[in-house]
Amino acid sequence: MTKVSDVCLSSCGATVVLATSSDEHYPPENILDGKLETFWTTTGTFPQEFIISFNGSARINKLTVQSYLVRNLKIEKSISKDPISFEKCAEKERRESLNCWILLQRKIYLENSEGQLQTEEFMLSGCQATHLRFIIESSYDHFVSIHRVMADGAMDSMSPTA
Amino acid sequence: MVKLTAKFILAGDATVGKSTLAQLFRSDGAHFQKNYAMTVGVDIIMKTVHIPETSDSVELLIYDSSGKEIFYEIMEKLWEQPSVLCLVYDVSNEQSFNSCAKWLQRVRARTLCSHLPGVLVGNKTDLVGRRTVEQKQAQEWAAQNDLEYFETSAKEMENFEVPFRSLAKSFHHLYQEKVETIHSVV
Ligand SMILES: Nc1nc2c(ncn2[C@@H]2O[C@H](COP(=O)(O)OP(=O)(O)OP(=O)(O)O)[C@@H](O)[C@H]2O)c(=O)[nH]1
Ligand SMILES: [Mg+2]
Repeated sequence: MTKVSDVCLSSCGATVVLATSSDEHYPPENILDGKLETFWTTTGTFPQEFIISFNGSARINKLTVQSYLVRNLKIEKSISKDPISFEKCAEKERRESLNCWILLQRKIYLENSEGQLQTEEFMLSGCQATHLRFIIESSYDHFVSIHRVMADGAMDSMSPTA
Repeated sequence: MVKLTAKFILAGDATVGKSTLAQLFRSDGAHFQKNYAMTVGVDIIMKTVHIPETSDSVELLIYDSSGKEIFYEIMEKLWEQPSVLCLVYDVSNEQSFNSCAKWLQRVRARTLCSHLPGVLVGNKTDLVGRRTVEQKQAQEWAAQNDLEYFETSAKEMENFEVPFRSLAKSFHHLYQEKVETIHSVV
């Protein structure tokens, strides 16, 4: 295991593999560039979502999401290898063995904070993930922005889960 | 270039011409529904509107809703988190104008957003001799309630696109404003 740092950076190999909205001026890559000033905007109706894939398997202690006007955010994780089969496997695995997939499924009502960015922290105590899915279910305005997602943790190799 | 998506609520009393206007807009004026077919619950109609002088567009998801009270419980759930509102009444039917306050309040109750762009549409202006709601009266009420006002005749194909295009433009404007606000926050 390498040393603990922010593994949710494009410079660490993290990528956004899916985003339901995209304005070319505010692309989802802005979430992973380590900068607060750049952001991804949603461009329409809710729910909206994006999926972050790590370069391998990560152990995450804490997630920090910096956003604007998000009301209800749900986070899911996956330990599957392939981000393309994310949903299909999730449905399948969910039926077969709950502890393999969707170990983390949270529904968080975020505080409305007009005029300032929201910083929300989620303690995950070393949970393992290859992909994280963020679902914005509702908002305080027609459009919201996500500025940064940070994951305090470390990258593993693709170790088999017992 | 950005493509926005707006949840467009089309509401008002039964038979005022909501579905007729929506179908006419969808078909670019090719389809006028002469015989009344009651909308059951909500019909969703998709149409993309280009925003003039930009390379942007707004995809309207038009929630053509029934004016009948029996469907209200279902509609209320489907209306959750609306983007824009188009209220329609029939200029020859005073009751349908009086109901607008009720429809407006019902849709506004489904959003947490500080501003919901909306228009009021007086339809069936071709029924000149049977008109009971004066333009001035409707215009005043619309202004008091922060709605833009338009008159249409779906039958004569007059103005039918204007409410849709106007709301698409308002929504696009709102997006640009919001992006400015976000820049000022960080
Ligand atoms: N004269 C005239 N008739 C119209 C006009 N627009 C619609 N109609 C007629 O009004 C009747 C009702 O129209 P609809 O569009 O079905 O009404 P609606 O508001 O969708 O009604 P619900 O679905 O029951 O809520 C139809 O017979 C239409 O042909 C118009 O501009 N002028
Ligand atoms: Mg109808």
